[in-house]
Amino acid sequence: MPNRLTRRALAAGLALSPLLAPAVVRAQAEPIRLGTLTPLTGAGGPYGPAMRKALEGVVEAVNSAGGVAGRRIQLYGEDSQTNPDAAVRAARKLIDVDRVSAIMGTWASAVTTAVAPLCWESRTMLFTVSGADSITQLPHRGYIIRTQPNSTLQISKLAEFLGAQGAKRIFILAAQTPFALTNRQVLEREMPKYGGQLLDQVIYDKDKTVFRSEVDQALRARPDFIFLNGYTPDVTILLRELYRAGWTGGKVAPAYAINQRLLDSLPAEVTNGAFTWAPSPDLESPAFKRLQTLLGTQDPDPYSCQTNDHASLAALAIAKAGAWTGDAIRENVRKISQGDGERVTEVTEGLKLLAAGREINYAGASGACDFTDTGDILTCPFRYEQAEGAKLKTVRVS
Amino acid sequence: MENYLVAMAVFAGLYGLMALGLNVIWGMTGMINLGLVGFMAVGAYTSALLTVRHATWPIWAGVLAATLVSGLAGAFVARITARLKGDYLAIVTLGFSEVVRIIASNEIRFTNGTDGISAIPGPFRGHVAPATFNLLYLGLVALALLVVFLLCQRLRHSPYGRVLRAIRDDDQVTAVAGKPVMRFKTEAFAIGAAITGFAGALYGHYNAYIAPEGFVPLITIYIVLALTAGGTGSNVGAVVGAALVVAFMEGTRFVVAEIPGLAAVQVAAVREFMIAALLILVLRYRPKGLFPEHHPRHPIPDTTP
Repeated sequence: MPNRLTRRALAAGLALSPLLAPAVVRAQAEPIRLGTLTPLTGAGGPYGPAMRKALEGVVEAVNSAGGVAGRRIQLYGEDSQTNPDAAVRAARKLIDVDRVSAIMGTWASAVTTAVAPLCWESRTMLFTVSGADSITQLPHRGYIIRTQPNSTLQISKLAEFLGAQGAKRIFILAAQTPFALTNRQVLEREMPKYGGQLLDQVIYDKDKTVFRSEVDQALRARPDFIFLNGYTPDVTILLRELYRAGWTGGKVAPAYAINQRLLDSLPAEVTNGAFTWAPSPDLESPAFKRLQTLLGTQDPDPYSCQTNDHASLAALAIAKAGAWTGDAIRENVRKISQGDGERVTEVTEGLKLLAAGREINYAGASGACDFTDTGDILTCPFRYEQAEGAKLKTVRVS
Repeated sequence: MENYLVAMAVFAGLYGLMALGLNVIWGMTGMINLGLVGFMAVGAYTSALLTVRHATWPIWAGVLAATLVSGLAGAFVARITARLKGDYLAIVTLGFSEVVRIIASNEIRFTNGTDGISAIPGPFRGHVAPATFNLLYLGLVALALLVVFLLCQRLRHSPYGRVLRAIRDDDQVTAVAGKPVMRFKTEAFAIGAAITGFAGALYGHYNAYIAPEGFVPLITIYIVLALTAGGTGSNVGAVVGAALVVAFMEGTRFVVAEIPGLAAVQVAAVREFMIAALLILVLRYRPKGLFPEHHPRHPIPDTTP
């Protein structure tokens, strides 16, 4: 019977294949296990899928170039659901069942903080894109690396930009988030350096559907710039209400709040003139250009650039250590990301140099990837944009 | 793998405790409570604030205080909603849980706001290996679950439980029979809230971290689903239902991983779809839950001389 023959041939093929395959393939019996915990559903849902794809791209590149020291990387992915309770259960699965040595790409600050103790207790490395200052202040003993600039750095850069725009009187409308308070404090401290001042801040609940009284409070203070420190849904409503109230002064919001989706959902005259700022990917970097091709977009978001670097950093640290435990990554991640080594922007190139016994200094799509002892990024470029006719135009990158 | 199963058993136990609490309020007394996560938050925050942020009480004292405070919160909510029934009670209790969450995110000096409270102590955490801590905690949660389960069974079979069921089925008739309906309702609500707050405190000490974002209505829905799938009114159903919900949520991870050719985001969506479909199937074939409530029949003692 043809059917039986086929099956037999298949079985024989399977049985023989390990013998016929080269040594590299046979060594793949025990792959390097890495985990991702990006938000695929919930509030982070718009970002998680691209973040995951950016990670997978690195893993595929490494595997098709022969893996790390002959070992394939096996990527285990779970959905954080942008919810700490669900994320903790997912992280348990990654750590205890899949035995990953690193978890990459946690997005919401509450998720990262909830998952962090599991990671450091089980000696698993945690790479995150969360921005809350409190995260790297946890007693993590080096098991956390964050590629997102913390809010102190972000707001200092904003103050500098607002100063350059001639802003003198600034009012903040902020969603209640882990960084609302620190953002205010930093802006209050930084603005006088550029001849401006912070008038006041009103904190609102981001699930509200009307912000009339908040807008009135802001206008009563007679600001010349309003900083909308929220997320897309609430900033959409705020912009509309500011327009209705006849506001013609400056407005600025994080780039994750005023994004193309927001611009498409509001008339252009409502959004015209609004500034955004965000940590910028390194637009000139070859790593960024490769990521553009991988994701099929001219404009990969900063989080995807960062998770792309998470995977590269983990792979290179493992190669440097010659071991793939969380401890090995923790102890070697700074050895391959900063220092006097040869500058590398691509993971497979770095792996080759490491195999040849050379020192490397990785810089990726998100920037230089140099870290402090507590796991914060030292610096990174920022991009400032302005909405004009329902499109964002780059004002400057610095 | 063992460690993971132990951790999921802890989660199932904690959900089971909350389902038992909801069963007292909803299953036995018929008061719809969609604010369960609010009482869980009150418990978790009380214990966390007393053991790490504002004082250094021992864990057992924190948990005890959490149980009392959430019981009081339950009595308070029961009193202010005394005249509400059905949908109206549901929406007000839902509102209560949102109020708790919003207070927790905005009273920053008191609760540390949306940063949440980390480094909540757990018994022997840090002194033993993480796997041992996990096992130890499972033992603790299992013991708590057993004790609360037996208490709830006792409540259900006692004359007190009979009054609660009578109120559920018709509170006017109960009032006519001379029972102080309001007092019974308040007490039942307080007992259920106390159990939920107790579970919340244990939840905080297990995860070592709580934040307002963790106490969203999603958790309430998990528990309502657990009780509905297990059997409203039945304590066995509450515990089994909670285990079932956790098994569905976790088991689907492994099933969807086997489906070839799906992108990550599709896998996540398929998983949520499967959880929902499984629960619908359970209720399609067991409309009253896996362990429907049986009215306890106690033989009348022979009084003839």
